[in-house]
Order: sequence, then C-alpha cells, then structure tokens
Amino acid sequence: MSTGRILVIDDDPQIRRAMRATLTAHGYQVGDARTGEEGLEELRANTYDLVLLDMNMHGMGGIETCRAIRSNSEIAVIMLTVSNTERDKVDALDAGADDYITKPFSMPELLARIRASLRRLPQLPRDADLQPLASQGVEIDLSSRQATVLGRTSRLTAREFDLLSYLLARPNKTIAHRELLQAIWGPDYGGELEYLRVFVNRLRKKIEPDPSKPRFLLTDTSAGYRFHLAAKDT
Amino acid sequence: MARSATSATRFISRIVAQKALGFTGRILAALGLVAAITFVCFGLIHVNATTAGFFYLVAILGVATAWGLAESTIASVAAVLCFNFFFLPPIGTFTIADPQNWVALFAFLATSLTASQLSARAKRRTKDAVDRQHEIERLYSLSRALLLTEARLAMPRLVVQQIARTFDFDSVALYDRASGEISRAHPNDMPDIESTLRDSTLRSAVIRDEGSHLIVTPITLGGEPIGSLALRGAPLSDAALQSLLNLVAIGMDRARSQEAVNRAKVARQSEELKSTLLDAIAHEFKTPLTSIKAVTTDLLSEPAGKLQKYQRELLSIADEGTDRLSRLVTDAIQLARIEGGTFRLDREVQFPASLVAAALRQMKSLTDGRQITVSAADDLPQVWVDADLIRMVITHLIDNALKYSPPGSPLAIGARAGENTGENKVIVYVVDQGPGIAEDEQPRIFEKFYRGSSEPNLTGTGMGLAIARAIIRAHGEDIWVTSKPGKGSEFAFSLPIARTGSVQ
Repeated sequence: MSTGRILVIDDDPQIRRAMRATLTAHGYQVGDARTGEEGLEELRANTYDLVLLDMNMHGMGGIETCRAIRSNSEIAVIMLTVSNTERDKVDALDAGADDYITKPFSMPELLARIRASLRRLPQLPRDADLQPLASQGVEIDLSSRQATVLGRTSRLTAREFDLLSYLLARPNKTIAHRELLQAIWGPDYGGELEYLRVFVNRLRKKIEPDPSKPRFLLTDTSAGYRFHLAAKDT
Repeated sequence: MARSATSATRFISRIVAQKALGFTGRILAALGLVAAITFVCFGLIHVNATTAGFFYLVAILGVATAWGLAESTIASVAAVLCFNFFFLPPIGTFTIADPQNWVALFAFLATSLTASQLSARAKRRTKDAVDRQHEIERLYSLSRALLLTEARLAMPRLVVQQIARTFDFDSVALYDRASGEISRAHPNDMPDIESTLRDSTLRSAVIRDEGSHLIVTPITLGGEPIGSLALRGAPLSDAALQSLLNLVAIGMDRARSQEAVNRAKVARQSEELKSTLLDAIAHEFKTPLTSIKAVTTDLLSEPAGKLQKYQRELLSIADEGTDRLSRLVTDAIQLARIEGGTFRLDREVQFPASLVAAALRQMKSLTDGRQITVSAADDLPQVWVDADLIRMVITHLIDNALKYSPPGSPLAIGARAGENTGENKVIVYVVDQGPGIAEDEQPRIFEKFYRGSSEPNLTGTGMGLAIARAIIRAHGEDIWVTSKPGKGSEFAFSLPIARTGSVQ
C-alpha cells in the first residue's frame, strides 16, 4: 500500500469522485478542489505531497494554477490534459508540472506516474561532483536546495535535482534520451523527448550563467545531452 | 445605348430651360433699372443730358459688375435709345437734329460697352480667383472628410453627401462599378442619371453640359474605371475636378480595402470560434469518458481471482467501449478541425527518421508481436512539416496496416528519397502483407467512414485514412496506395524537403 496525500483539482465532480474512490482504495489520502483558486487555498491550509491538476478548467486554468503553485512550492504536480498535442504537453511542463497524462487514462498508468513522482527525496548530487561547478561560479546549496549563479538564486525541484545529479555524476559523456528518461522518470518512460527538452531548459535557466548559450548543459542533436566540465588541470 | 442617349438629352435640356429662366429675369431687371433712371431724370428732377448720360453709365457699370457682359450690353442699347429719345433734342423723337449730338450718342454707346466689358472681365477674374480659392478649400475639407472619417461600409453615400455639402452642388450621384449601385446625395437627385453614369464608366467617357453645369465623368484607379460621378449645379475647374475625382477614387479604394480587412477579420473570428467550440466538445466528451475509464481500468487491475471471470469479461467490454468512443471523439474532432481549416500548420525542420521513430514509439503497445522492418537512412534530407500531425499520419497508417493484415505478419516502415517526382520530396511508406485492396476499392479507402471489405472486426473509426489524407493535403502534398489483391499494400505519402539554410 502506498502512502501520501494527494490533492485533486478538477472542475468535474464525477472525475473527483472517481479519483477519490480509486486513490483512497490504493492507500492515498485524498483532498479535492473544484477550481484553481480553491486548490491554491487548500494547498495553503493543508499539507499535500502531490497535486493532480486538470489543465482545462473554467476560470483560472490549469496552466495558471500550476504557475501559481510553483511560485512558492516544489510539490509534485501531474497535469491532466485532454489534448495530446506536443504544444499542450510542453505548455504543461513549462508551467512547472513534473508530468502529465492524457484523458482518458488508465488507472494503473496514473498510479505508476504518481509513484514515480512521489519518490520523496530527490537524488542529490555528491559534494565531490559539485566541486567543479563551484569552481566555475555555480553555487549549489544542498540543504536549502538552491542554486546561485551570477547572484541569481533559484530553487530546484526534486526532478531537476535528479536530472542534475545524474548528469553531474557522468561528466563529458553524451547520455542518450532514453537512458535519461528511464533514470529520472522511471522504467515506463523512454519516448517523451519533450520532458527532457523542457526540464533541461528549466535547469539551464537556474544553473547556466547565460541560459541561451549553455556552457555546461549541452545538447548533442538527436543523440542526447552532455554535461560539459573543463578538465581540472587547465 | 440609344435609350440612354435620349434620356441624357432630355435631362440636359431640362437643365438648360432652368438656366434660361434666370437669365431672362436678369435682363428684365437691367431694363427696369434703365427705365427707372429715365423716369427719375426726366420725370422727377429734370437734369440736363450730360448728367443723365453719367447716371446711365454708372447703372450700366453696376449691371456689368453684378451680372455680366450680356446683361450690360442689352442695358447699354436700351440706355442709348432712352438717352436719345428723352434727352437729346428734339426731345420725344428718335431723330437727332444736331450732328454733334450724334457724336455724343456714339461716344456714350462706345464708353458704356467698353466699360461693361472691362468691368465684366475684372469681375470674372476676381470671381475666378475666389472660385479657385474656394475649390482648394473645399477639396481640402473634402479630403479631410473622406480620409479622416473611419471608413464605413456606407462609404459611397458618405462620399456623395460630403461632395454635395462641400461644393454646394445641387445634386451629386456616384456609380460604383464593383457593387453596381448608384448613390445619391439626396434620394430624389437626378432620377434619370443612372444610364448616363453607367455609360460613362463603360466607355470611359466624360459627358458634359456646360450650360447647366452638368458633368458626368468616369472615376479611374490605376487606369481602370471603377465607377463614375455626376455633378450638377456648380462650375468646377478641370484641375479641381481632377483632384476631386482622385479623392473619390482614393476614398472608394480605401473603403474597399477596409471592407476586405473586415471580411478577413470576421473569417478569422469565426475560425477561432469554431476552434474553441471543437475544444469545448472534446472536453465535454472526454470528461465523462475519463471517469468511466478510471473505474474500469482500476477494477481490471485487481489481482486475478478477486473478480469472477464473467465480471472481468463485462468490465473489459466496458473498457474497450470507452477506448473506442474516446478514439471516435478524438478522430471526429481532428477531422473537423483539419477539414474546417481551424488549425494552422506549425511547421518545423524535422528528420524523416525521427518522425518514423516517434510514431513507432507511440504505437509500441500495439506493434508488440509484429516483426517491423524500419528503414530510414540518416542521410535523408530534412523535411519541413508539422511534426505532431505527420506523426499522427504515420500512426494512422500503422494502425491501418495492423488492422488489415494477419496477426503476426511483418510490416515495413520507412522513408526514402522521392523518386521520379523530379521535385524535392521525401516519401514515407508503410507496407503490410495483408490481403491487399481490390483496384475498384482503392479510390474509396480515403473517404470518411469507409471500411475495407476485409476488416475482420470493426474496431476502427473509419476516419483514420481520411484524417491522414486531410493532413497531407494541408501540407500541399499527396498520399496514395499501391496494392494488388493477395500481395499486400503500400501506403505512401510525400513530404516537402526543408530549404537548406533553415536547417539547424
């Protein structure tokens, strides 16, 4: 049995009912909210581990709600979308969601994604791996989970830490998309290139001195990503 | 043609009649003035001949200044006769006794005629100058009125009213060739002018009647007659007329382009509305499906033994029905969107191989158990396509191939350089080893809701190939099938190669 507190934000009562019944049966504590505003209120009032957020709600939409959540919280967010176009997926991830699932979805798939997102503690990089970054002006504070570069400080989400740690442990080596996806999101993943595109961009914004001209996090077109670190003795 | 000519003549002669009436009135007034002077000088105050002569001269100068040469000439002749009759001896007859008085009489006549002429000319010059100035002022205010007011759909009416108001024309009528409509400044202006206006546009000819100040002239824009304008009741110099016509042409052109912009805006709004509506429909259908799907899949995921066999069977039926309905909604909305033109291609430079790979990844759960040969050379040129949509085309073709070929039979999927098209194309293909498609059936398989006669279990929506074709056509490309019964089928479509330089 899994444990964790999940907040379902969806304007459809039937979906809230179905989610509450199934998720409760699988051992989660479930709260729900009918609108984005209500959801934000609920998040302030109670502690949750994960948010299931409907993308197409009346009033404050899912994207806007997700941005509002991200402005002060690193809680895991899974977006529920109706359309499965690349643009909508990228929009959802760009707004700060960790994952998304297209309606209608199968419950086992949703549960797998919830489990993947709820791995409580992110894989944090080892201090030794952080040394070369620090020597190039990128400070990463593991206790407050913050990155500081050129005076810019930003908090990293769990997924972003996972991605950074994995790459930092394997410097100057091209890592294939599939390997990265399975290492960070889980064995069920592999084809979701847009996840990597969005998360790498998010990470670049937080650790690169100039995110538009990345120095560390490099793209090897159609192969994968590479963390570039200059050799120590130069 | 003959009818229009007669009606124009009739129209002009009526205006001439009105003009003639004004002229006669002025002649009578001038004669009355001469008579009044005669009466005062001869009957009331008894002045001598010299003084009377000067009185007449002053009056004639006045007439020349006020009205013109014709009026003053007639007044001069009348004055000479009266001068002779009443003031030159022998008084009361037209005979002149003293030869010196002949000289005086002719001197008077010559002086009064010359003076009238000079004063009429001066008057005409002043009037011309004032007229020019007025014309310029009026053209200016007309141009402001036409160009600064927001162009409305009632532009032609606005134009004629502005012209009539600014230039004090009695009547103005405008014929717009594009709409075929005639607009008048006042509803009952020049009721017979219609055929003359059409005639003027058609022949590109200026029809004019100086006496009545009627002019019917074509309006041209870039050498092309776009209508004609009839003006009556005020003289206008050629330069002013030309400027006026240019202004009207610009105004009409502006109204026309404004109209085109408005139409485009309305079309775009209706496109956006349709798109929003389709999104809403998708949302409304998918939401209840989501709760059903959550329930069926969750129950089906219970470990074996917890459900009785028939319960599991019933749940599977509900679950598959949900999937089918969901596919139907997705496909129907996709097709409506593409066919209704409510989407825009979001083109990017793409590797053909990665499009094929992405589609295969998406179909992974369905292609398990099939041997699939993928051949897409890495050195194929990149293509310029909407990746989401092309991936959808490939998945529809794979789905189709899976459905219409025996379970376990191999598939071949790939991309190759376009052969014998002579153009820069990449061909993407999906080959199955199914029963093939009869030749007479081949043209129909891309139609909506058409199902192949060999489909064993009707699980599809009948829209896959129609969607594929709509997407490929939206790219300006083609999709086709090559098949022989018993030999399998190849579905293939072309994609445009990205121009070098945009490659990144």
